[in-house]
Amino acid sequence: MSNSDSHKLSGKRYTSKEVCLFLSDYAVALFGCAATCIRLDRNINRMAAAFGKKVEMFIMPRHIHMTVCQPGEDDTFTYISSVRPAPISFSLNTRLSQLSWHVADDGLSLETARHRFEHMLQCDKETPWVTLTLASLANASFCGIFGGDAIAMLIVLVATAIGFRLKQLMASCHVDGRVIFFVCAFISSVIGASAFILTPDGTPSIAVGTSVLYLVPGIPFLNSFSDLLYRHYICAFSRFTDAVILTACLSLGLCLGMKLMSVGMF
Amino acid sequence: MLFEIIKDALLAAMAAIGFGSISRVPRRSYIWCGLIAALGHSARFLLMDPDVLGMHIVAATGIAAFLIGLMAVFISPVAKTPAEAYLFPALLPMIPGMYAYRSFGGLAMCLLGDTQEKFGVYFYRFAENGFICLAILFTMVICAIVPIFTFRSTAFRATR
Repeated sequence: MSNSDSHKLSGKRYTSKEVCLFLSDYAVALFGCAATCIRLDRNINRMAAAFGKKVEMFIMPRHIHMTVCQPGEDDTFTYISSVRPAPISFSLNTRLSQLSWHVADDGLSLETARHRFEHMLQCDKETPWVTLTLASLANASFCGIFGGDAIAMLIVLVATAIGFRLKQLMASCHVDGRVIFFVCAFISSVIGASAFILTPDGTPSIAVGTSVLYLVPGIPFLNSFSDLLYRHYICAFSRFTDAVILTACLSLGLCLGMKLMSVGMF
Repeated sequence: MLFEIIKDALLAAMAAIGFGSISRVPRRSYIWCGLIAALGHSARFLLMDPDVLGMHIVAATGIAAFLIGLMAVFISPVAKTPAEAYLFPALLPMIPGMYAYRSFGGLAMCLLGDTQEKFGVYFYRFAENGFICLAILFTMVICAIVPIFTFRSTAFRATR
């Protein structure tokens, strides 16, 4: 079944304005949960084609400028929407991508697609304690990978658990991300540096170095390279700059924590 | 050596699952995150082992990242999850954390150093570790993303 056929199945013809408003909301939600530009482009074009429309998009780091038109008719609508700051969520990314395929393959009506979309946004909740536990174990594993001993791993586990919990609490209070990275890196590195007191003959420098790795903004780095390959240079540069600034905040917190604990780098 | 490989693979899998949970990967995908990371990290371990191939860390990381990218692309339709979801958690165990740490340390000591001789020593440490760190990062990320762009039709139909 072609995309135009599936559109006919829904039995209703939509104006460019109706389609554009839905696609704009969808685009900012998908971009906000850390989707790459190529995925955004493909999902939006897939749904626009299913509704019988043509779409042009201009993706900026903070805004998405979208124009939807009906081919062969004088029905065009343009809308600029702001990207909402949202936590990284591959779960939401997956479900939004599935929604685009349902629209294209099953001929979902715009109303049903909108209803499912709103439901997806409401249901995207994390389970904080599970994430906290897994993140702490992950960072302790990191310490092991880098050659840390059992005591260093235990210290990193505690440093991550406390730092990550603080990150969750500060995020729930809508504190600026850069401040969160600085404060959490500081707290975790101070706890990590206690390895120099508890186990000076072990691997204390590995404990300090890995205690802040849970803050490394890896997904913005990865996405920036993906956008670069897809020639979305402005988005690529923006994501890269964001990641560098967060890494600088992380490094500043780590440096201050080590200074406070009088721990040398070498 | 087998014990070392298994230990390394298990730690990499645990790290990948934990970082998958931070980036809210769907729970059904945790097992795949762990598996891809374990295989990728073990591949790098073997490539770098002097008794096997003894490759340089940059080349070994590039090959392992490419394998991770390939696995992510071909597992994504099975798990019905975008391939990108597996990349970050699986690549994280290969991030050159200690190089970054030493590079940053060298920079900090440069700024705090009071003699030309000390500055020279610490600047060398900063530059040496920084260059290796950047080379690993760039190689790793590009090699991991290339399979997604090469097999676009598979990668972007995963959630169908």
